[in-house]
Amino acid sequence: MTIHYHPSIEMLTDYAAGSLSLTHSMSIATHIEQCQECQQQIRKLTTLGGQLFTQTTTEDANIVDLKASFFDKLREQDRSESMSSTVKEQGRRDQSTDHMTSEETLLSWEQDYQVPKSLRQFVPFGYDKLKWMPLSPSVKIATLCQEEGGAQVALTRIKAGASIPTHTHTGDEITLVLEGAFSDKSGIYRQGDFITRDASHKHKPMVTKDAECICLTVLDAPIEFTGWLTRLFNPIMRRYHPHSNH
Amino acid sequence: MDTVKQIDSDDHMVQDMLAISQNRDQEALNRLFDHYVPKIRAFCLAAQPGANLMADDIAQEVMIRVWRKAHTYKPETASLNTWIFTLARNARIDYLRKNSRHQSNIDPEYLWRDVIDENADPFKDAQQKRDQERIQIGLAKLPQDQQQVLAKVYLEGKTHKEAAEELSLPLGTIKSRVRLALHKLTIYIKR
Repeated sequence: MTIHYHPSIEMLTDYAAGSLSLTHSMSIATHIEQCQECQQQIRKLTTLGGQLFTQTTTEDANIVDLKASFFDKLREQDRSESMSSTVKEQGRRDQSTDHMTSEETLLSWEQDYQVPKSLRQFVPFGYDKLKWMPLSPSVKIATLCQEEGGAQVALTRIKAGASIPTHTHTGDEITLVLEGAFSDKSGIYRQGDFITRDASHKHKPMVTKDAECICLTVLDAPIEFTGWLTRLFNPIMRRYHPHSNH
Repeated sequence: MDTVKQIDSDDHMVQDMLAISQNRDQEALNRLFDHYVPKIRAFCLAAQPGANLMADDIAQEVMIRVWRKAHTYKPETASLNTWIFTLARNARIDYLRKNSRHQSNIDPEYLWRDVIDENADPFKDAQQKRDQERIQIGLAKLPQDQQQVLAKVYLEGKTHKEAAEELSLPLGTIKSRVRLALHKLTIYIKR
């Protein structure tokens, strides 16, 4: 798989450093699951983090007390663990069978779709099991999480050959193609492609005719539809966004 | 910093990791505690100055993970410093999301997986070693202004945008400083 559109080096750096917001980190984590090139980049950026980390130190702190309490805690935990290990063992066995059933369900429902590991917290049973809200006969969205004071993460599912009405963004928007492909006047985007659009951008994405398209989107602020009829959607989009006043 | 000396002391600590995973050697853990806890605390205090309680909590949490996860550490795929950095980074993210004003239900465990690849690849490992050495040597030679911005992003946990605001510099300047630094460390090659 060749991926043509990647996150900026700034975003990758902030992700490796752990300074990027969790919502944006989710889109990076999902991209690097599919992108070898960015995986390599993250590896090096993390090595740099390790190096900067070794250069730090605090001289003033007295760690003797901290150490004593740490070893007490460790002994306490080890003791309670060995006592409950048989119970735990049983629990683990149950958990692993649970896990298998959910994997199997995932496969039987959607033969071709592999939900990225980074999204499984919010998509544990496959895309079909999510609560989808129809925006039009061919477009639906499912909100995965909304951060107070942060962005909104959602999935958009568009039928083959359909298009999303022309819209602009009131904030930055990240789109990551999970399944299928779509195009706009700037290019064609396939699985794994990572596209960033800012508020000035006005576009009309169209899905290719061969298959439906599922995208992960991270929105800083609600999108605004610009066509006269589709402007009717705007109150709905605002209502489903955490920043709205409605 | 004396690079040769650092690599030598790193070897001792890798031995300590082995002693922990194979023999549950508490003495070895004791030595790693002395070496890494001041660094983990400094790393936390850089992001939240004065938050000593948080620094203590995170340092303990990281050392407990070292004790429990020592067997998953593979010296050929990442240096011990890098491995412990990722533990500290993840613990700090987790602590902040649970205790900050903007609580989040996104679990960082899903987003930052181990740096250690599942498949062993000798070619990649050799490459990794070379990258490691290049970064270690290159970092000391960077101009002060570039080191400062890297420290803001990595240690203080600031995004590029926040670093720009704090240093009263245009975002473009911060971006180009980081790019220049990454370029010199051969981390970033323009696509």
